[in-house]
Amino acid sequence: MTLTAAQGTMLASVATSAVGMWLALSPRAMRLRIIGAAIASAALVVAVTALDGPRGALDDQILFWLFAGSALVSSVFMVTSREPVYAALWFALATLGACGLFMLLSAPFLAAATVIVYAGAIIVTFLFVIMLAQQTGYTFYDQRARTPAAAIVASWLLLGALLWSYQQWQNEPVNVAAGPALTADANPNPFSQPDSEATAHSMRALGRSLFGDYLYAVEIAGTLLLVAAIGAIAIAPRRAEGTI
Amino acid sequence: MIGDSASFLAVGAALFILGGIGFVTRRNLILIFLSAELMLHGVSLTLLTFGRVHRNLEGQAFTIFILTVAACEAALGLSLILALYQHSKSLDVDLWSKLREADLPAPLLALDAGEPPLETAPSPAPLPRLAPAGLPPIIDDDFPAELAATVDARTIITPSPPDDGEYR
Repeated sequence: MTLTAAQGTMLASVATSAVGMWLALSPRAMRLRIIGAAIASAALVVAVTALDGPRGALDDQILFWLFAGSALVSSVFMVTSREPVYAALWFALATLGACGLFMLLSAPFLAAATVIVYAGAIIVTFLFVIMLAQQTGYTFYDQRARTPAAAIVASWLLLGALLWSYQQWQNEPVNVAAGPALTADANPNPFSQPDSEATAHSMRALGRSLFGDYLYAVEIAGTLLLVAAIGAIAIAPRRAEGTI
Repeated sequence: MIGDSASFLAVGAALFILGGIGFVTRRNLILIFLSAELMLHGVSLTLLTFGRVHRNLEGQAFTIFILTVAACEAALGLSLILALYQHSKSLDVDLWSKLREADLPAPLLALDAGEPPLETAPSPAPLPRLAPAGLPPIIDDDFPAELAATVDARTIITPSPPDDGEYR
């Protein structure tokens, strides 16, 4: 079996990022770990370039690589950072990068909602708990990763398989008829099909889809939020049991 | 088939994998939760991309539900973490590895050859224990029957069994 250039680039960069990740997670000197994380994130970006990027206007491409690069780099640094507060801040940056990608996928409402919910609420709550529970900053359990080599082998095998199959898909169309036959009618949800290309990604179409096709699910999700709020109040330690 | 969306899918896969590796290797309870949120980001990105490929709005609707569930998960998880922290005064997840079933092996603390084992915090005060799942409870036959008739069984406090000491 011969590899094409794109396949070779993809496999080589995935392997390089695994090595960089192993350096970054191992108990080594600070500088070596930062170099490892930089290698891992750069190699991940190179692995993404092995697939077809967005075609079209130059500013689209520039924005894609900006957002994708910031999401990948900051998530690598989040996973390998030894300070929980820095990890939370890197996660906020990764969220911003992912939201930029949402915007490029013409989902502006979701981009705004994700920034508000994640960067505005969840990150603040995480930082609050970190500062409440871990005021010393340095803790021994943040200094060493658990079984880094085995975890890297397992997850990078999965990553390589995923990227490989994406590369296959973009080269040859999937033969639908060869798949397993449907046993029931697979009608599309009526409200989720946009009228035209222009209204396809407007807020109005999204609202029609949510409150048309998914009305019961929206109600259940609201109930779930209520139950989770009550549960959080019930689980959280009382002042009578001693404060943190 | 998926055309220029493949790179979006690749970024989603990479975010998912990075979140997964953080979930497995980090030992701080809060960072384990953050890694799970990163995995959710990867899934959201993949759903949105497939929604654009199929030219409908199902992906966006699903992502809104993911957002809802992530908010619920963060609220419940952080209150659980606070409750655990109050018991052990530490965010080390290895302190809670005794919650496993009795017949499961101890968790891997150092798999890589040549590495010293990970240090662990001193164990918190032992919690009261239930009988292991699948085993009949030990019934004290010596407890006087006439006393048992008068005493509320819920108020009898039995000492927890001695610690097996494998994990100090």
